[in-house]
Amino acid sequence: MKDEILYMLGVVAVGFAVTYALRALPFLLFAGRSRSLPPWVERFGNLISPVIIAGLVVYAYSGLAWRTAWPYLAGALTVGLQLWKRNPLVSIVAGTLLYMALIATCGCTTYRTLELDAKNPAVRVSTKGVLFGDAYVAPARVPEILADYDVPRDRVIHILLDPDVRDLRPARFLMACLRKGGYTRPVLVTARHAESFVTEKKPKAASSRRVSPAPAKKTIRYKGANE
Amino acid sequence: MPESVAIPPRERRAILRRAFIDSLPVLMGYTTMGFVAGVLLAAKGDVVLAPLWAFLTSALWVTGTLSIAGVPEIAARAPLVTFALLTLAVNFRYSFYGFTMLKRWQRVPFLHKAYLVLMLTDENYALEAACAYHDPEKNLRYCTVLSVLNHSYWVVGVVVGALVVSVLGHLVDPAVIRRYTNGMEFSMAALFIVILTDQIRAMKTGRR
Repeated sequence: MKDEILYMLGVVAVGFAVTYALRALPFLLFAGRSRSLPPWVERFGNLISPVIIAGLVVYAYSGLAWRTAWPYLAGALTVGLQLWKRNPLVSIVAGTLLYMALIATCGCTTYRTLELDAKNPAVRVSTKGVLFGDAYVAPARVPEILADYDVPRDRVIHILLDPDVRDLRPARFLMACLRKGGYTRPVLVTARHAESFVTEKKPKAASSRRVSPAPAKKTIRYKGANE
Repeated sequence: MPESVAIPPRERRAILRRAFIDSLPVLMGYTTMGFVAGVLLAAKGDVVLAPLWAFLTSALWVTGTLSIAGVPEIAARAPLVTFALLTLAVNFRYSFYGFTMLKRWQRVPFLHKAYLVLMLTDENYALEAACAYHDPEKNLRYCTVLSVLNHSYWVVGVVVGALVVSVLGHLVDPAVIRRYTNGMEFSMAALFIVILTDQIRAMKTGRR
């Protein structure tokens, strides 16, 4: 426990020292010449301010459901009200209430990012059934769910097969459902493959044009009527 | 608080009212975001005396980014050098904020200025930068009052969050609170949007 307290005191001190040093940096840089600031500093300051705030808008949006339309609708209302009424509190409260109402009523309470690669397969087949994330779903529902996430139809959909699954029929049924729903490129992957993929330093970008890097022998491609 | 003698009491009350009204969106954002940070530290940080650390980190750091991003590092007992590098990365933006305040705070006494520098947070800075008081005395008073208000919101949010988990964790389910406050985090984005809108308008009309 003594070590823990010492460690936490260290964390507090380091976090404070670095954060405060960053905040004090401009004042330290111009400490000696505070009486006559070079004019470029003032110009730089006036110019950089809106740029920083714009960056902060992006930063704040990254914590919101930014892939949906809701934060942009709420943002548009905020800008519109601010231009019209010029009352910050009214603009902020109205925009926030609209956003809260939109995500509460439009079923996007917590937004999840889908990472559709072999490392993070969205769909999993266990001995008990088909899982999407942590929840069991009917195989026929999977194409609808993917469509809800705006997953392009030509995207490779990795399906993780649990190692103890011996019967491939549920997995094949799921693939048939995916094909029926328009997702023509489902790929079964095993846990071993998924782990081996982690070590590869490939960009995780969710590009719809990306072809599965999986060697053919490790995956079982479903050959259906469309192919 | 020095130099306040120059401002008549009526003006001072007006500045306080203005600062309080301006800080309301930050009140919403800091208390909810601070609550989350406090809950995280107490629930996931794997530390004893979580409310104490919640108080110290919120009062001395005043940075939500580090308070939230640092929790996994604390839980893993990462080396302090790693923690310093993480702090540098997530908080680098703070080093730009002071530039706009150099001239404004040129004649502010050392300790007073030291406190204003501590409170160069995203939201506090944004409000200070947009402050409509052109008189230096009033501007300084506004910035100071605003800093104290926002600082207190943040500390209260973080400490309450840590207390809820460590003392009442078995009675209050944070998920319930989260459900009712879901989406309130937009007020932060809205605050920045409003300030950016005003700044762009000011640039276009040539004011300021």
